[in-house]
Amino acid sequence: MKAVFKRELRSYFTSGIGLAYCSLFIFLANLSYQTTYVEQFSSNFVGIFGVILGNMSFLIPILTMRIWSEEKKQKTDQLLLTAPVTPMQLVMGKFMAAMTVYFISIILTFAYPIITYTYGVVEWRLIIGNYIAITCVAAAYIAICQFMSCLTESQIISAILSLATLLCFSMFHDIVGADIELLYKVASFISIELRYMNFLNGIFALSDIVYFISLAAFFLFINSRMIDKRRWS
Amino acid sequence: MIKINNLYKNYGPKAAVKGISFSVQKGEIVGFLGPNGAGKSTTMNILTGYLSATDGTAEIAGYDVLDRAMEARKHVGYLPEQPPLYLDMTVNEYLNFVYDLKKAKGSRTKQLREICEKVGIADVRKRLIKNLSKGYKQRVGIASALVGDPEVLILDEPTVGLDPNQISEIRNLIRELGREKTIILSTHIIPEVMAVCERVVIINDGQIVADDKLSNLIDNASGNKLSVELDCPETEGKKLLSSVSGVKEVVCDRNKFIVTSDQQTDVRKKIFFAAAEKKIPILEIRKAEISLERIFADLTLKGDRA
Repeated sequence: MKAVFKRELRSYFTSGIGLAYCSLFIFLANLSYQTTYVEQFSSNFVGIFGVILGNMSFLIPILTMRIWSEEKKQKTDQLLLTAPVTPMQLVMGKFMAAMTVYFISIILTFAYPIITYTYGVVEWRLIIGNYIAITCVAAAYIAICQFMSCLTESQIISAILSLATLLCFSMFHDIVGADIELLYKVASFISIELRYMNFLNGIFALSDIVYFISLAAFFLFINSRMIDKRRWS
Repeated sequence: MIKINNLYKNYGPKAAVKGISFSVQKGEIVGFLGPNGAGKSTTMNILTGYLSATDGTAEIAGYDVLDRAMEARKHVGYLPEQPPLYLDMTVNEYLNFVYDLKKAKGSRTKQLREICEKVGIADVRKRLIKNLSKGYKQRVGIASALVGDPEVLILDEPTVGLDPNQISEIRNLIRELGREKTIILSTHIIPEVMAVCERVVIINDGQIVADDKLSNLIDNASGNKLSVELDCPETEGKKLLSSVSGVKEVVCDRNKFIVTSDQQTDVRKKIFFAAAEKKIPILEIRKAEISLERIFADLTLKGDRA
């Protein structure tokens, strides 16, 4: 697992995808922080997490699109799958590497509370709660997109699949609308965006945290099953 | 070291491997021969755990490749048809990664240095794999199969893409490795089998059509065939040879006759006396040598002709 983790992390930065992800992530977040909070002298910048959440739903598919599809295409999966390593270890190695890239990008946003603290008051508990919540969402997003990547050999298809799935998980309830009651209920239950509202409103909802983590665990699990299943095709 | 028992593999409705069984003893170098699409790569992929069999079992070093996959895989070095290389890494980084991935033991620097020297990539260790020529890439692939010092090597067409000098280097290397390791080598290059392997397993259309020592295979195929050159017209010669008891078939090949006899009887003396009686001079009589190419063609084209 450590070997896969190290190789993945390295390739994020040699291929440029990791760098592109981090810079785009921080650029968009900075833009929002600058225009919404700095220019309006507001110290309540918790809304930035909503923006980050939205950005992640199209940035993470880019980060994860090559995780398995590229292995399949270059046939390097033959090396991984014939090595004395279990599928779950491979999945976790790759997942942790993507999480590390996410951590690097999120650490860059620590500048906001620090800047705000220098000039005003920071609601620390609210901010820390949101950092925890957004990290759990990121884990779910990465796990979902990583799974999508193992369904195809093409990075582009992998990215599109991931994007579509994440949209389902975040905005499906908007699209469905309240008219079809049952579908709306399901859509709002699975909606990550809707659940995240709690955290933006200052409620640290443990049930939602559990939901995000279970989502991540579920997709990591079926990811490992999927890899194993390929042998049987 | 390797035991394959009644192995089947279906890809959907298509059966790629239909009940293959063979075993390989420690220290043997076995050539796994067959036309394209015969099921060579599939069998090797099953042995290494990349694919699973539809039915039947395979064992490596006493471990079932499915039930005790982790132990079995530790004993195998695998070079797939297309070497599984990460193009964005240098040779050094790649081999270190493989070393970690295989959880290899022993001194890392020493082992990797020895492998690089063996396969002749010591001078490119710091270069990116994507910038290497095909021959070097192939050698890096072989190097990665050697990492961890596995007892069994499974090499899928190891000399593809190499130049003639490199081919003979790699063949020497395989022969050398064969002293300590058990090797299965798939190929459709027949001189390669002649040069390297002691035993051949020929597979066609998912089934084994021959499995024997190389020398036995050639002896058996050519043992009952004679090449006879007579100083007489074709029809007369054919009539004469056919009349000899024990001769099953006479084929005229230019001005030579290929005589097939019963396995047991040596018809050379009889042919001599028969020819002497008719006063036909025998210019040459010798055992016909059948090449492995011929055996291969006979075995693998049978189905197509029918």
